[in-house]
Amino acid sequence: METLRKQKLREFKESWTLCAHCGTCNARAPIIPHNWRELPPPEWSAPYRRCPSFEYYNYRAYTAQGRNVLATLFFDDAHYPITEDLLKIVYTCTSCGVCSDICKATDPLTAVWAWREELTARGAQLPEPLEQIHQRIQDSGNMFGAKQAIQRNDLPQAGKDVFFAGCNVRFAQPQVIDAVAKTLHKAGIDIAYLGDHEICCGFIPGYDGNTDLMERQAQLNVENLRQAGCQRVIVSCAHCYRALSVDYSLLVGPLPFEVVHYADLLAQLLEDKKLAFRESSPAQVTYHDPCFLGRFGQIYDAPRTVIQSIPGVELVEMERNRRWSYCCGSGAKISAACYPEFGGAISKDRIAEGLRAAGTIVTACTTCVHQLTRAARNEGIDVAVKDLSVLAAERLA
Amino acid sequence: MELKQEFQQVIEKIVGPSRVATEENICLSYAYNAVLGKDVVRKPDMVAMAQTTAEVSEILQAANQYHVPVTPKGITGTTGHGGCLRGGVLLDLTLMDQILLIDPVNMKAVTEAACSFFKLAQELFKVDLMLPTAPYGPGPNVAASAITPVNAFGETKYGANINLVEGFEVVLPSGEIVQIGSLAYQDKPFGPYYRYITGPDLVGLFTKSNGALGIVTKVAYRCLKKPQCWSFHTYYWPEDQIKELAQMVLETTAAEIFDVHLNDRWSWAMIQSVRIPDDCFYLAEFILNGENEQELAGREQCLREICESLGGKNLPGFAEDFYTRWPTHFMFMEMVVPPRSTLPAKMPRRYMIMFDELLFPTSWLPEVYTKMVALCKKYDILNFPKIAAFSGFPMNAQTISGHWWTPIDDTDPQVMESFYACQAEFRAWFGEQGGTFQQRIPPAAPDYAWTNQLGAFNLIRRIKELLDPNDILSPGTFELGEV
Repeated sequence: METLRKQKLREFKESWTLCAHCGTCNARAPIIPHNWRELPPPEWSAPYRRCPSFEYYNYRAYTAQGRNVLATLFFDDAHYPITEDLLKIVYTCTSCGVCSDICKATDPLTAVWAWREELTARGAQLPEPLEQIHQRIQDSGNMFGAKQAIQRNDLPQAGKDVFFAGCNVRFAQPQVIDAVAKTLHKAGIDIAYLGDHEICCGFIPGYDGNTDLMERQAQLNVENLRQAGCQRVIVSCAHCYRALSVDYSLLVGPLPFEVVHYADLLAQLLEDKKLAFRESSPAQVTYHDPCFLGRFGQIYDAPRTVIQSIPGVELVEMERNRRWSYCCGSGAKISAACYPEFGGAISKDRIAEGLRAAGTIVTACTTCVHQLTRAARNEGIDVAVKDLSVLAAERLA
Repeated sequence: MELKQEFQQVIEKIVGPSRVATEENICLSYAYNAVLGKDVVRKPDMVAMAQTTAEVSEILQAANQYHVPVTPKGITGTTGHGGCLRGGVLLDLTLMDQILLIDPVNMKAVTEAACSFFKLAQELFKVDLMLPTAPYGPGPNVAASAITPVNAFGETKYGANINLVEGFEVVLPSGEIVQIGSLAYQDKPFGPYYRYITGPDLVGLFTKSNGALGIVTKVAYRCLKKPQCWSFHTYYWPEDQIKELAQMVLETTAAEIFDVHLNDRWSWAMIQSVRIPDDCFYLAEFILNGENEQELAGREQCLREICESLGGKNLPGFAEDFYTRWPTHFMFMEMVVPPRSTLPAKMPRRYMIMFDELLFPTSWLPEVYTKMVALCKKYDILNFPKIAAFSGFPMNAQTISGHWWTPIDDTDPQVMESFYACQAEFRAWFGEQGGTFQQRIPPAAPDYAWTNQLGAFNLIRRIKELLDPNDILSPGTFELGEV
């Protein structure tokens, strides 16, 4: 994969002394105090708690500035010891991207991704859960190692609009298939669903350092989608969205289809008056911006447009929202798999924040739904976590 | 150094096992500093995170018992020189970040040691107060800002940060907790109200001490009322008018302009989107304020008269943009490090600071600047697109705190050899004139800083030996010669 290890690593090596250790990426403080006349506007009013791994582990090694130091030492020394504590520092980065959003100079998250690829290239034994996930993806085509995806005989397996469900939906969240199919049908779009012909998008291996496996997944998925006559892929998971909309074309060349997230699509359909919601009982919901949809995909307004179009539903923002949204705890499905206590603590924090805003947390990523739901169950917290597609389907006119 | 397992267990008992780390990579992450680059490594053997003053006290008692060095640190490593010169425990105070008091009536604030300066500044702003001497970046904390030199805006009128500090809570090397200055009376009904209440200025004792005499755990500030009206201006001078520039700084400082900030044109050479006039070589950016528009207008007139009488030309909009356009100059990396696409060809994107917090009399600006430029040319550091950029923060004592930085390929040994040779030659000349600079005052190679003032140095040593007979706190801080 040329995108990270080679290109970005070169860039990172050039930028070591760019990190001024100013602490903006993680300090529990505003990133700008004021401009003498006024306090910063929302887009520059960063929350005090913004780096999940720093908030949990507290040591500098778990911040972007600490990781910048260690990554440099690692890249400079081909024999740098690969120890358990090093792997923990690398893989507890949740890839939430807030550090890179703040510090364009060093782009510390890209350094972490490059670092992971370099670890793989040096033959490092990755944390056991990741090795297991890789094996399951290779053997079964999905991250759970499940034998058969949820089947939907009522949906075609070919067509120009294909719903790329992702592992979470294909094996654990069938209601999202129903919701997306029902909502889009109402707007005149009939989706195809590949079932077992869809395989894991490869995001996890791609972002934990095994880009070869992601490339393999990309090749297989693109071929399956091509054979299905796909002209537009509709995705529901923010990580699948990232993989298909950004990484695939870098890995396998130009794609023969368009990639959209359904939140964007629903917002467009609402604007085109092809979709409408019915009046329903009043409810307050809050919206959790998934990292790979918001910070990475810059899709902030579309899901809010959908929620605010539903009569009776009031959107109450969480304290950390949009650009400053906090990780759900999944850590791009990587941190939570390797360090579940850490992931659980971040989820608990995010759920508590959600509950301060409203009783229902809506999000537009099925991985976030999975993580927040599981954490709430484990902690015995009473909160409703709902995918945006499900909320929309419930309130269709 | 090798720490005894028993010592680690004692520290773990004090702060809990999750707040003690000896893992190699955790320790290494604290070992570097942006100014000194990656050639200087100061690795602790253990990192311990204290959350209360009592924990700090217990850690120091244990360190004394086991003769283990302890060096405090906050979150940043920008231009500060903190770090473990002799290994041992790095006492990470990041968790002690609370604001304990903001008293808008008496204009006081008290915080824990590692409270971000930005956090305090913003909370003060909300009640129409301010601390003018705000450093770059949110990482610098109040204790570090007080006990180390800090580049800051607002120094022109109000001087160094420490001038606004009125009290400390300090844990002495023995573990004894003392409150000094205004904090000595913090528990009395009057509260903390005056720095010199304890007689001799004990607050000053800890200034620039790098934590070698005691660990500051609380800081009390005297705050200022925030003026309601602000404006921002730029004047510039051609290359041959550095004497006029220095005279302007002397006069605007005497006129108590809120802030004067100096740059030469090389500061902007990395940013091609910024256009400055061809005849502009030195830029001075000014921050003015007033309680009302009338006062502000008076200051603007005063500034205009000083600058224009000394040949300065106005550059409208430049400073307004620099200081007020979000994210503003406070967003350090956003402002300082340009995107690759904006760089002139062949100019490295990374940079190193050659000197930081160079302190010299404002009247010496022409000599200091000319000397530095001559040396940069001699060592092929300044030959466009090679540049060496100067920034200056004039202070109210008619003293300039300045720094020089250069874009550099620090993987090229020849380039670095030239860089270090230039630094050494300037350092020798500058030291002989009586100058000091941050990288080389305690604890790194305090040659001229101490040999220029041996009497004072010996007194500090005696105080250090008295307070810290086992030399456990920030050892290496008060020593002669290269460290």
